[in-house]
Amino acid sequence: MTVGDLFRSIISFISVIAIPAMIIIFLAWGFFKKVKMYEVFVEGAKEGFDTAVRIIPYLVAMLFAIGVFRASGAMDVLTSVLSPVTDLIGMPSEALPMALLRPLSGSGSLGLMTEIMKVHGPDSFLGVLVSTMYGSSETTFYVLAVYFGSVQIKNTRHAVAAGLIADFFGMLGALFICKILFGS
Amino acid sequence: MLNYIWLSLIAIAILTAVGNDIRDESRNTYRNAIPFEAKFNIQKTPVPGRQTWEGELVISPEAFGQFYNIKSEEKEIRQSLSLTLSSASEGVLLLALDGASPAFWRQMAKSATARDRLSGKVRSIEFSEDKSSANVRFVLEPIHFVKLKAITQAALDFANTAVEISIGLIGIMALWLGLIKIAEEAGLVKVLTKILAPITKRVFPDVPPNHPAVGAMIMNIAANMLGLNNAATPMGLKAMKELNKLNPKIGTATNAMVTFLTINTGGLVLIPATAIAVRAASGSANPGIIIGTSIVGATCATVAGVAAARILQRLPKYKKDMEVDRG
Repeated sequence: MTVGDLFRSIISFISVIAIPAMIIIFLAWGFFKKVKMYEVFVEGAKEGFDTAVRIIPYLVAMLFAIGVFRASGAMDVLTSVLSPVTDLIGMPSEALPMALLRPLSGSGSLGLMTEIMKVHGPDSFLGVLVSTMYGSSETTFYVLAVYFGSVQIKNTRHAVAAGLIADFFGMLGALFICKILFGS
Repeated sequence: MLNYIWLSLIAIAILTAVGNDIRDESRNTYRNAIPFEAKFNIQKTPVPGRQTWEGELVISPEAFGQFYNIKSEEKEIRQSLSLTLSSASEGVLLLALDGASPAFWRQMAKSATARDRLSGKVRSIEFSEDKSSANVRFVLEPIHFVKLKAITQAALDFANTAVEISIGLIGIMALWLGLIKIAEEAGLVKVLTKILAPITKRVFPDVPPNHPAVGAMIMNIAANMLGLNNAATPMGLKAMKELNKLNPKIGTATNAMVTFLTINTGGLVLIPATAIAVRAASGSANPGIIIGTSIVGATCATVAGVAAARILQRLPKYKKDMEVDRG
């Protein structure tokens, strides 16, 4: 068993027991501190509905804009405009749409990753690269809409810029580490 | 900034869609009103009273690619077809599209009258000697404004998706907010914040180290790293709510909120479970090979994002946004 396998099995074990362990610890701690648990739970859970409903307008605005953008075919135009630049840093042109789509749409980039692996094979350089890209970032605009929506933030200040800079470096990091480890 | 990005996404979408549709019209990409000729293998001959033939069209990939001026399909096209004649050489036909149909036709059907089939008019038909096959010339229904129709559909679909996602959050939100409330009342969150205070003080200097927001943020980041999305979102939203209590200007994001959000969008996960699952499903010999590379990529994203957030918050423009009107 290699170090990687060991790391992986430890982390997946923690992931599996994390939720039951958290529930047990929370409840046991509450029990010893004599918290009226049922009442307190219900009190906290009440906020769940409001929070979820508060997000709706923000998420509709965000997903609507991203949806029409993707449906219009603008992604192809953007890819062809940007590919001369990304060629310079050695990013394969097939991986560029992935880098562009990742911050915008989780389901879209998942579909794109699946598609690329189907065509080029999951263990090809491109397959490893796009799956690393997928794992290297979150869907920035979705997180932005949900998190800020829940507290009714309308002026997001530098959040978009910081989020996109994070994505940019995430994609660059993914590209370079894959080139170093798997590039020919 | 979000205002401009939002508007440009929509504006670019509409302009591109109109541009693409004009190009399609001028090039006649979908070959509207141009007859297509193909061999029709008849499998079912008409019953009395109804002049309907059923069978399949056989088209060579080269001929198909040449007709539509696209990259040709890989193998011979066999498309099921039903054809009804009203006179000796005139009638209508229907192509029921499925997974085996040419991708181009399936794409066309998306903006046709019915989404899973294409209809057309028979221009001429010549049966073979033994009536087992025929040569058909036909014109498919005209296809116009593909992209404009697509963005309209997308707008409606995604509005629905947004509501579905939000409503789907209610249950897990309630569950986790209830559990967190217990942990809070029991003082567990305070213990957690005290232990990690040396780190959180540096990353979130604006947040008092013993504030409940710190506990929620720590739990959110830990759940994210373990890939527990169902637990991470409720904890993150709880953290936002607590951070908002420190907000002097409701409706505007604070520095701490932006830093916290950037950590979340950086998406540092110890095991990128979705990517690994897709790799395994596509037959990878080593699906987990991307764990290390993803951690490197996500660390780059998170570090760069937090650094960017800390630098950008000093810009006069963003500082001004935070000033509270006292007038």
